[in-house]
Amino acid sequence: MKKTVCLTLKGMVFLTIAALALGAGLPATAQGQEKLKVGIIHIGSINDAGYNQAHSEGVQVMKKNLPNVEVIQAENIPEGADAERVMENMIKQGAKLIIPASFGYLDPALKIAKKYPDVKFVHPGGYKRAPNLGTYWASTPEAFYLAGIAAGRTTKTNKAGYVVALPISFFLANINAFHLGARSVNPNFETRVVFMGTFLDAPKEAIAANALLDMGVDVLGVIVDSPITVVQAAERRGAFSVGYHYLGAQKFAPKGWITGIAFTWGELYTRFAKAVMDGSWKSEAVFGNLASDYLTIAPFGSVVPADAVKLVNSTRQEFLAGKKDVFQGPLKDNRGVERVKAGESFPLQGIGKMDWLVEGVIGQPK
Amino acid sequence: MSDILLISILSGAVLSGTPLLYATLSEMLSERTGVINLGLEGIMLIGAVVGFVTTVKTGNHALGIIAAAFAGALFNMIFAFMVITRKANQLASGLALMFCGVGLSALIGAPFIGSRIEGLGAIAIPLLSDIPFLGRVFFNYDILVYLAIPTAVVIWWFLFKTRWGLSLRAVGENPTAAYAAGKNPYLLQYQVLFIAGLLGGIAGAHLSLALAHTWAEWMTAGRGFFAVALVIFAKWHPLRAIAGALLFGGAISLQLQMQAQGVPVSSFLLDMLPYVLSLVVLALWGGARRSAVPGSLGRVFQGTE
Amino acid sequence: MDKGLGIKGMFRHKWVAAIIRFCGLMGIAMAVFALVLLIFGQNPLRAYADIFKATLGTAYGFSEVLVKMIPLVLTALAVAIPSRIWLINVGGEGQLFIGALFATWGALQFNGLSIWLLLPLISFLGFLGGGLWALISGFLRIKGWASETISTLLMNYVAILLVSFFVFGPWKDPESANYPQSAPFPDAAILPTFFGSRVHLGAVLAIAGLLLFYFVMSRTRWGLEMRAMGINQEGARRTGIPTYRYILLLMFIGGGMAGLAGMGEVSAIHGQLRPSLSPGLGYTGFLISWITMGSPLGIIAAAFLISIITAGGDILQMTHRIPAAAIHILMSLVLFVVLARSTGKRGKR
Repeated sequence: MKKTVCLTLKGMVFLTIAALALGAGLPATAQGQEKLKVGIIHIGSINDAGYNQAHSEGVQVMKKNLPNVEVIQAENIPEGADAERVMENMIKQGAKLIIPASFGYLDPALKIAKKYPDVKFVHPGGYKRAPNLGTYWASTPEAFYLAGIAAGRTTKTNKAGYVVALPISFFLANINAFHLGARSVNPNFETRVVFMGTFLDAPKEAIAANALLDMGVDVLGVIVDSPITVVQAAERRGAFSVGYHYLGAQKFAPKGWITGIAFTWGELYTRFAKAVMDGSWKSEAVFGNLASDYLTIAPFGSVVPADAVKLVNSTRQEFLAGKKDVFQGPLKDNRGVERVKAGESFPLQGIGKMDWLVEGVIGQPK
Repeated sequence: MSDILLISILSGAVLSGTPLLYATLSEMLSERTGVINLGLEGIMLIGAVVGFVTTVKTGNHALGIIAAAFAGALFNMIFAFMVITRKANQLASGLALMFCGVGLSALIGAPFIGSRIEGLGAIAIPLLSDIPFLGRVFFNYDILVYLAIPTAVVIWWFLFKTRWGLSLRAVGENPTAAYAAGKNPYLLQYQVLFIAGLLGGIAGAHLSLALAHTWAEWMTAGRGFFAVALVIFAKWHPLRAIAGALLFGGAISLQLQMQAQGVPVSSFLLDMLPYVLSLVVLALWGGARRSAVPGSLGRVFQGTE
Repeated sequence: MDKGLGIKGMFRHKWVAAIIRFCGLMGIAMAVFALVLLIFGQNPLRAYADIFKATLGTAYGFSEVLVKMIPLVLTALAVAIPSRIWLINVGGEGQLFIGALFATWGALQFNGLSIWLLLPLISFLGFLGGGLWALISGFLRIKGWASETISTLLMNYVAILLVSFFVFGPWKDPESANYPQSAPFPDAAILPTFFGSRVHLGAVLAIAGLLLFYFVMSRTRWGLEMRAMGINQEGARRTGIPTYRYILLLMFIGGGMAGLAGMGEVSAIHGQLRPSLSPGLGYTGFLISWITMGSPLGIIAAAFLISIITAGGDILQMTHRIPAAAIHILMSLVLFVVLARSTGKRGKR
């Protein structure tokens, strides 16, 4: 017994000495000098054809646009202490702009931001800011509304199913918008929502997708980190699909693709980096909309009828001109409670507080 | 409407239950021979990733499944070496195997995230699948689903109707006695763990090839540990394992259905049910006296092995 | 040089041999991992250098290793304490979660209290939560209804689901856009840290736990009785040692240690209760306790080693484009070589 104890103790000492020797001996891994280093941490894999890939491609575009920017990427970092440690590591490697690319990184990022006031942070989807931490997101409900119009005109069974990670208010708002858009062209439209309880569990998503399809839905939408599984499930059973996060998801459903709502962060990230480099960056809540260059509606699939595409485009103009609101009252939730009075509108800026599903959507937000 | 609901729940049960059944059978065989393998999660992950990668590279699912099975079996040989030859602690070795599987599968699978495969297609058995209700539920699945129950039956037959099975169980009850009776417990255990690895690899392959059609790190999400609970619930009997897998596969499917119907139920409380039920089964049948627990396994649990 | 047959001489021999043996083991594990890295196209020497530099080469890196060690020492104690009487506690994970659950309740319920009251309160609650959870398994064991090995394992999942239930439901933070996490802890409930690093007061609890464990086991009458139980439980019972009471007590204390780990994580590291609280800390603690046979010094050493390895995973990822999870391979290799060395005979204490 003492053996193992002594073993490990002496071994520790030995290793520490060896480590310091090695560390001193070998040259450090690549260090840049005059560049801007940008660090980005991902909650999942950058090849997920979804949320993470969209962010990753965004920084690649930024890198291409600005040759003197260097990027440090880390994938699959859990929230909490690990995220903090990785961000600190990046800062120690010289990063001056950090993108903590997941909702759950907000609190860890705020902690690190306090510690390093001269490093700038931009957080997607955050609801709290700091002098050196700003937030950004694109208001997606309008886009989902448009997708809903397309879905409402493409469906044959008038039923849609949504596989969603968690009942986060942003996601609820998206579903509501989709449903309202579909209802506007198809009064019999019904949307069913199933929550996974986690951002990524491919087998469970497959079962959920099949369950929804069994119930007769012929449009499947998805709000999880990677749309691959659900979109493929729809394609296999001849249903239509609406993607999310990433434009490239279309290749998984060549026949049934309706459209998708994707994020193309590249130009926005380029602007952030430029602002940091020339000192003009300030902490703000960037909240884009349909007009922004980081929110894109994917090209429509061939199954969408031409008149639907026309209607989408004209509605989009109405949104851009401010002539139409997505959540125009009167609106009741799916438990019968009135949520928006007639003549009023639920403001897009406030969707962080939306915790209900609109009437006609079958599912439980709580 | 409720007809469709029933079909949907049942077919969901079959789909979720299939990998569970293979995994449960794998663990059951190990435990029947006196070895508890907490590394099943790792084996399933290796099976899932190898199956997926092979299918991506060759376009052939059969090859993918076979590769997954053998990968699982070989991977389990590490564990077998540790606990049989080196007599290392089973629980610790199993957990170490799990960590290894998580890491290795992540490494192997990293370049293939986002790759496309043609999923393991459903094979509709002609004529039978046209039967109105039963047809949809029972006769419209991929090959691994069809093979699942026959596999369980074959294992039952081997365990209880052959001499090999008898020796296996004897080793599981009391290896010293088995040795005295002329069996070679080590060889038997190696054989069993190999087969258990095959089954675990197939379970993983079903997840990636048939269900998800993709690879993601740690995509088994605890199903390997779930299987350990299911083995107890099934009281170490292959045929009861079928019922258990269907039941708990059904619970997952039921939960999703209830959500889609708008029924207020907490998925977490439902998810606890399998574990609580297994505890109940254990309490009723796992105690020292009327034990369904294989003897030497029980000694591992008591800490005297 | 005459190493001699004297006690000192033998001792010196043993230490030298021991170091060589240990380095040999580590060397094997590191060599296999290096091979794996090579197969996947990486430079193992650079990888190892980067790992060591990031973890041991800087004060910050070192502090992060310590941060990781704190819960590991506690969860290892959670296993080591009951293991003295051959109880197998695989339930550290669940006990950790329930400890965090109880601590969260206290922090949110009594959020007006000052730090001098609130911190001890939630520490106590953390201990209580983990202890009670383990006690269930202890109870099942003394009644002969279920072995604690399996019951603690199953209870892990119930615990995690229970925490998810609360965090997705009644305790969901109303301010966080419906995201599954509890409301943030009031400042008075956050464990203070040292020198601007993330090393928190939990370290004191961990060290205290280790010292108490060592002291009680080797210097008190209770330790003696427990050792007797460890050698022959039935015999010990017949000489009047209250074995059932010890089983319950040790399960409670062991669970309490894991509960403290949970309290530490939720209070100092996360600041609120989340389902992602523990990346398998309970299981890693089990492994640590097992490969060191529950020895206090060994626990520190093994926790140190494993913390280096897991902290090293980040660097591998960032500078070598290997998935962070790959570091688990190295960790499991280390475990394999150490486990394979054991000859199956339980170390007599």
